[in-house]
Amino acid sequence: MTERTVKVMSRAGLHARPAALFVQTAARASQDVTVSKRGKDPVNAKSILAVLGLDAHHGEEITLAARGEGADDLLDELEHILSQEEPQRA
Amino acid sequence: MSRVLSPVAGRVVGLAGVPDPVFAQALVGPGTAVDPVRAAGRAVAPVAGRVLRMQPHAYVVVDDEGHGVLVHLGVGTVELEGHGFTPLVGQGDRVTAGQRVVAWDARGVEAGGRSPVCAIVALDASRDALSRVRADGVVEQGTELFRWE
Repeated sequence: MTERTVKVMSRAGLHARPAALFVQTAARASQDVTVSKRGKDPVNAKSILAVLGLDAHHGEEITLAARGEGADDLLDELEHILSQEEPQRA
Repeated sequence: MSRVLSPVAGRVVGLAGVPDPVFAQALVGPGTAVDPVRAAGRAVAPVAGRVLRMQPHAYVVVDDEGHGVLVHLGVGTVELEGHGFTPLVGQGDRVTAGQRVVAWDARGVEAGGRSPVCAIVALDASRDALSRVRADGVVEQGTELFRWE
């Protein structure tokens, strides 16, 4: 299992645009990918309903987890999306 | 089956009519969009259920079938940081379909240089799960925009 804790840098938190880009990227992976907020159960990172339901705000840390081949590269990509202040407009 | 109602009155333009590629290309999910009447108003819940998220320029209501519908009021309105949008219910509240949930003013959004077009999106839905999707014409607030099997 590869895990990584990342800060949400989008100024408005994980709202529609970054959430959509995040989920699109996670959904391309063949393996399960989860995301969780501290103290809460992990949710499916391929579900936009689950990701919006995290209610992750700017500056909050969330933990990404995946296993298997390519997990590191996948988490790199997801981290990149979360690290952007505003991936284009929303 | 969920019947998804229009949160606002206006003219249906379809998701392709949203001037934001993330919505127009259905990356958030399938659905439709409404160009709202230019007036102060109160956007309503598209389905009965629980308010999963209240931002309040955008909100998500999840019905008893687990179907989550996102309503996004205007384009780029996240940048307003809630200014001009007053939530009438809280996150976690149960709402009825058609219940007023956010007070806002499409004229104010437009005057600020943003499109007031509202996207109504079925989250985690495949395109074939939606039927009778309205893509044009005039729509009254609280009337059906699409069905979700």
